[in-house]
Amino acid sequence: MNNKIYSLITGIVVVILFWIGWVSLNPADKKAMAQFISVKDLVDENISKRTKLGGLVKNGSIEISEANQLDCIFILKEGENELAVNYNKTRPDLFKDGAEVIVTGEYLNGVFYADELQTKCASRYEGDLRNESNYNLEEIDT
Amino acid sequence: MTPIAGSVALNLAFGCSILSIITLFFYNRTADHRLFLTGQRLGLAVSFFVFIATFVLSYQLLISNFDIDYVARYTSFETPTIYKISALWAGQSGSLLFWLFILSIFNTITIIQNQSKHHTLMPWVIITMSVTQGFFLILTNFITNPFEPTQTDFIVENGNGLNPLLQNVTMAIHPPMLYLGYVGFTVPFAFAFSALVNKDTGVLWIRSIRRWTLVTWLFLSIGIILGGWWAYQELGWGGYWAWDPVENASFMPWLTATAFLHSIIIQEKKDMLRIWNMVLIILTFSLCIFGTFLTRSGVMSSVHSFTESSLGPVFLIFVFIILICSFGLMYFRIEDLRSPRKIESVTSRESGFLFNNLIFVVICFAVFWGTLFPVISEAITGNKISVGPPFFNQINIPIGLALLALTGIGPLLAWKGTSNQKLIQKFTFPTFLSLLSAAVFIFFKMTGYVVISFSLCVFVFAAIFSEFAKGIQARTSKFGESTLLAFYKMIHKNRSRYGGYIVHLGIVLMFIGFTGHAFDKEKEFGIKVGESEKVANYNFQLTRMFEEERPNHYAWISDLRVTDNNGNFITNLRPEKRVYFHRNPDVNKRQPHSELDIFSTLNKDIYSIFSSVSNDNNTAFIKIMVNPLVKWVWIGGYILAFGTVIALWPRKD
Repeated sequence: MNNKIYSLITGIVVVILFWIGWVSLNPADKKAMAQFISVKDLVDENISKRTKLGGLVKNGSIEISEANQLDCIFILKEGENELAVNYNKTRPDLFKDGAEVIVTGEYLNGVFYADELQTKCASRYEGDLRNESNYNLEEIDT
Repeated sequence: MTPIAGSVALNLAFGCSILSIITLFFYNRTADHRLFLTGQRLGLAVSFFVFIATFVLSYQLLISNFDIDYVARYTSFETPTIYKISALWAGQSGSLLFWLFILSIFNTITIIQNQSKHHTLMPWVIITMSVTQGFFLILTNFITNPFEPTQTDFIVENGNGLNPLLQNVTMAIHPPMLYLGYVGFTVPFAFAFSALVNKDTGVLWIRSIRRWTLVTWLFLSIGIILGGWWAYQELGWGGYWAWDPVENASFMPWLTATAFLHSIIIQEKKDMLRIWNMVLIILTFSLCIFGTFLTRSGVMSSVHSFTESSLGPVFLIFVFIILICSFGLMYFRIEDLRSPRKIESVTSRESGFLFNNLIFVVICFAVFWGTLFPVISEAITGNKISVGPPFFNQINIPIGLALLALTGIGPLLAWKGTSNQKLIQKFTFPTFLSLLSAAVFIFFKMTGYVVISFSLCVFVFAAIFSEFAKGIQARTSKFGESTLLAFYKMIHKNRSRYGGYIVHLGIVLMFIGFTGHAFDKEKEFGIKVGESEKVANYNFQLTRMFEEERPNHYAWISDLRVTDNNGNFITNLRPEKRVYFHRNPDVNKRQPHSELDIFSTLNKDIYSIFSSVSNDNNTAFIKIMVNPLVKWVWIGGYILAFGTVIALWPRKD
């Protein structure tokens, strides 16, 4: 390989690595990055920047606004810690009581305003086995 | 066939893989041909026992034997037969067995195909493949056995059934395609490793695996595109790529494999880039295993992740073993790997290939960096920071556009070097057309990356067109053939070259589709029957909303009449909100599912999702997305596959 090509390759690699480093430190879109944090740390430290939380939807906590069915509040449970989460977009189909979710958004005055809500992928759903009490579901009246 | 037969077959396969490795290892020391034949047959025996295990599990899935935990978790009596078969790769242990099954098919083909060829390479090829099989046999025998009996304190009368989202033909095909891609790279890696051991790193191993690599690459490409298509058609978020760690896991080996496919042309024709090609195939294979690690370890928060399991560290150890052994061996073979010839000029086709390779690897690094960013940031700052699509897009769009430009530039360069006169002659037409189109796009108020992307698409298209035109012209003037005959014969005589150009054309069309994303519009709203809502120059009127009980679900159906700004009728959309297992008394076991309706044209897709319905059943909550040019992504995918098949088509001689 002649020196000209070698220098050119080195130059390109340096520029691109610099570019990757630059974007990692200064992303253009504030939604580009979010810090994973525990519910406890978020509340204790009252962090208002964009964060990501994981946990379970507390049973019976989902409240959907009558006026706007897209508007929803639920309690995110992470171990012993709980936090109210507000989300007002189309909810994923697997969102329900007990679902494992990851929410991304900002914390303000005791409520986490999420603009992203992900549920664990359906493809890896490994539920409990059915016993005789819920066998033959088609014949049980709701 | 009893389930125990499956377990025993897996035990025997593991035993044979160890014996095969030992026997072939001793053959390399003693050169006793009987040992080679024994090792080869033991290699075939491994595959045979894996086939038996796979058929036993498939049969148990088909007959719904819920005494096996795996069968009970992923199928039920109601599961349609096709999805009982696809349940084989729906869960952790079954999909690992399926990995092994495909690897065993490839192992058998490789052994049979090379029975009377490559006598020096084959022993280590079989050893490498047997080690890989052995690794997956350790997993399926000792860590996550698909034949594990059901352990409950009640009799399992019926299984869970396959998730409704997976009861989709695309989803039944997408994982096997990806697996064929992932697993297929074991063969070129095995040849590369064998070439290193045998100090025969010239063109022989490259010639043995070029076609194989192309087939594998095609499967991986189809797998990735099908995954995107399924997400777009089924998941209801209106996109096809989310830069999720598991998506990235399949994209990274695709990038290095694409680079490898390009650079082996240089080694085959010029015997250059030996070290580089070795690095690329080692990286590709390691990334395939690493991808499987990402999916199964739970280390990354991904919507695709399997339940967290103890498999992660085992995969990571295997990746480290591959990297240490391969790069260690490369270190000891460095003299043999030095190519006898050097690239002479920046404006040569060789350097064009090299720069294109560089870009592929750099994109791969950027994706790797972003995927592991939470781990890296936690190690450095103590804060675990995850990155989303805007991060990947910001980094990769400019690099991707550079790659698009090289797709056009590369084929216009001549081997060894291109004179200034030739450069001007070859580049004038595509450059002129590209600049002209840029002016037109700017006139239509397009800006930034959109203008650059579209005009580069024009540039590459013009470059490909001029290559075809030049080839046809040469034939018509030399042989007096008609244009059509010359076109046919030109491709026929040089399938790999023109097949490659057709693949490039597919990539250009996909880039047009990607760029269309810049114009996406979306709106979510509640609407009553008779009301209208406007989204991106279209009116959506809810004409009817009704409910229906069907055999396996309950559905709310909305009828939307779509008109343009002038009131011209465009289409009727009928998105549905369904609830599967709706008769289950346990509300948590019922599963909602949004059945989308998409009106798709070459120009744009109108994408409708029925999010929910109000309690009084009066208001439908709808999400509408208008996504321009998406269809070109799928058309580009078809053309890419078509071009690859042309490149692969065997010559008569």
